[in-house]
Amino acid sequence: MRDRAATRALVLGLLGLPFGVFAPFAVWTGTRSLRRIRSAHGELTGGSSALLGLAAGLLGLVALIAGILYWFLAS
Amino acid sequence: MPRLAAGLVVLLLAAITYPGAFAVSMIARLTPPPTASSPAPPGELPWLHVEHPKNGRPYIADDQKRMVLFHGAVPADLLDFGNSARPDAPPPYPIDPAPYEGGRCPTIIPSAYPPLCQSDLAQMAAFGFNSLRLPLSWSLLEPERGRFDQTYVDRAAQVVDWARALGIYVIIDMHQNAYSRYVGPGNGVDLSANSGAPAWATLTDGLPSGLWIPNQREANGAVFEAFSNFWYNRSGIQDEYIAAVSFLAKRFKDDSAVAGYSVFNEPQNGWNLPPGFDDLLLFPFYRRVIDAVTGAHDGLPCPTGIFLPAICGYADAGVHDRRHLFFLEPGLLRQITDFPTHLGLPVSSYPNLVFDIHAYTHGFTVEALIPGSSHDPSRATYPWGGYDQTYDLGWREAKAMGAALFVSEFGNDPKYDSLLLAQQALQQEKYNVGFAFWTWKENSGVGWGMFDPTRKGVSPLESSGCLRVSRERLLARVYPRASSDPSLAYHYEPATGGFSLSAHGRAGDPATVISIPPEVTGAVTASGTDVPVTQTSPDGSRLVSVTPAGGPFSITVAAAQLALAGCG
Repeated sequence: MRDRAATRALVLGLLGLPFGVFAPFAVWTGTRSLRRIRSAHGELTGGSSALLGLAAGLLGLVALIAGILYWFLAS
Repeated sequence: MPRLAAGLVVLLLAAITYPGAFAVSMIARLTPPPTASSPAPPGELPWLHVEHPKNGRPYIADDQKRMVLFHGAVPADLLDFGNSARPDAPPPYPIDPAPYEGGRCPTIIPSAYPPLCQSDLAQMAAFGFNSLRLPLSWSLLEPERGRFDQTYVDRAAQVVDWARALGIYVIIDMHQNAYSRYVGPGNGVDLSANSGAPAWATLTDGLPSGLWIPNQREANGAVFEAFSNFWYNRSGIQDEYIAAVSFLAKRFKDDSAVAGYSVFNEPQNGWNLPPGFDDLLLFPFYRRVIDAVTGAHDGLPCPTGIFLPAICGYADAGVHDRRHLFFLEPGLLRQITDFPTHLGLPVSSYPNLVFDIHAYTHGFTVEALIPGSSHDPSRATYPWGGYDQTYDLGWREAKAMGAALFVSEFGNDPKYDSLLLAQQALQQEKYNVGFAFWTWKENSGVGWGMFDPTRKGVSPLESSGCLRVSRERLLARVYPRASSDPSLAYHYEPATGGFSLSAHGRAGDPATVISIPPEVTGAVTASGTDVPVTQTSPDGSRLVSVTPAGGPFSITVAAAQLALAGCG
């Protein structure tokens, strides 16, 4: 059975790249989904989607934080 | 394999969105600037650039590194506005320079804006104006794809020649209003308020033209679609725009009377939302224009003719113009909210950038645009930071981007001069920022121009000679044109003509130059300086040069009866 949160994490992660506001939610959802999938010992699938969602979310989050930090430091 | 493909999709999306945009901006910030500085020939206006003090804010400076403040106006006559009755109607006045030569001026006919003639430049100089923003339309510059109209550029060059002779800088402005006169007629659409792109670059995809909000020309589906297609470089129209700016730059590359290029007026976001619009589409587009014109190689090489994401730079167009300023406007939503809609990421390694805002607080800010509202600027509750907000935030945005700040438009209904115009002028003094007033002369409607189109007993068609006295009082100001101290403080009192300036300087610093229009008659005194040197023009305006003796110094103009020439 596929963990639905994995798909959610991927969608949020992809949205988080152009719209940074989604990135923290992608990280949160992806992390939880990965934990659930790993602790289900093969009964849950979607690990790749969750991992990619998490990675995209992290990239978006890093860019968001860096951008905001840049604004406060440079302005 | 699917995992690899999905991973590549994530990486690709990251590259063309914020992670990629941020990386390219930081690389641009760290890249040594391309330089090609050489002095202007004797007698010419000095080249301008942007100074970047280590612990201060960037500012526009001359060849002696003095801060230069622009005071000027925006004449709209060279724009190509539409005509709802005759969609293909030509501009009301010739774009050929010949009818304007030798001080001649075409006969005034019914039109929104009177023709811009040599006498207008003399009037501007008499106001103490040292600059003008000259709006041009892409539709007249490149009426057919790939064919640029040399005659139109000659007309712009004619205005530059007039300006140069009077010591006035020209900002060449690639202007637009609601994208284009060719967006099509529709419910509430008045095409006489639209200008910008040529018909071949107006891609509305069949969306109906019609206003969603009465009297708001940008609130139109066809305008949104056309803008979106431009930002996504549909059919290579953005490439053509870059070629058009490069064509202009080739003409003015060696002309120091041209201060620089205003790349895109009031860029509307189309269907895109901020901050992504500004950070991922608009400012990267500016980077590409600068790449093409200056030969700076910021961003990655990308193929043209398709969507160009934020990481993409642009090929060198062979102009190598590295002595002009580039004026960069934020998205239109920033202009109507007085609030940043972007992260202020650096745009280019090219150092001569000016962040330019339109300061229409309480005139075009959101609270004034609500349909049906009986807007009273004196009781407005937004912007929460008042008139100060757009300047304070504009300063921060400009500094983050490594750019100077400039107000490329402000203006208002003349009935609010004592409130809106007076407040804007105060803010500009407070923040040491120059301005271009919208608009110079205007005959249509109530008219926002400096001249009244409804002088009693005179035909409206001939009436742009009646100077509004409130505008004369508030805009013909005493101000420092140039100073070695970019943190100087000054204030002009329009009711009395009194002026005071305090600054610091080292002995041997170049002179601070004060512009005094003929309306102001008070005597000049200075302390902490050598003897002031006054140069009086035939029109009565004065330029006072003051050289600091070392340490703090001050300049004052005594309050005295104003010699106002305006009427109404």
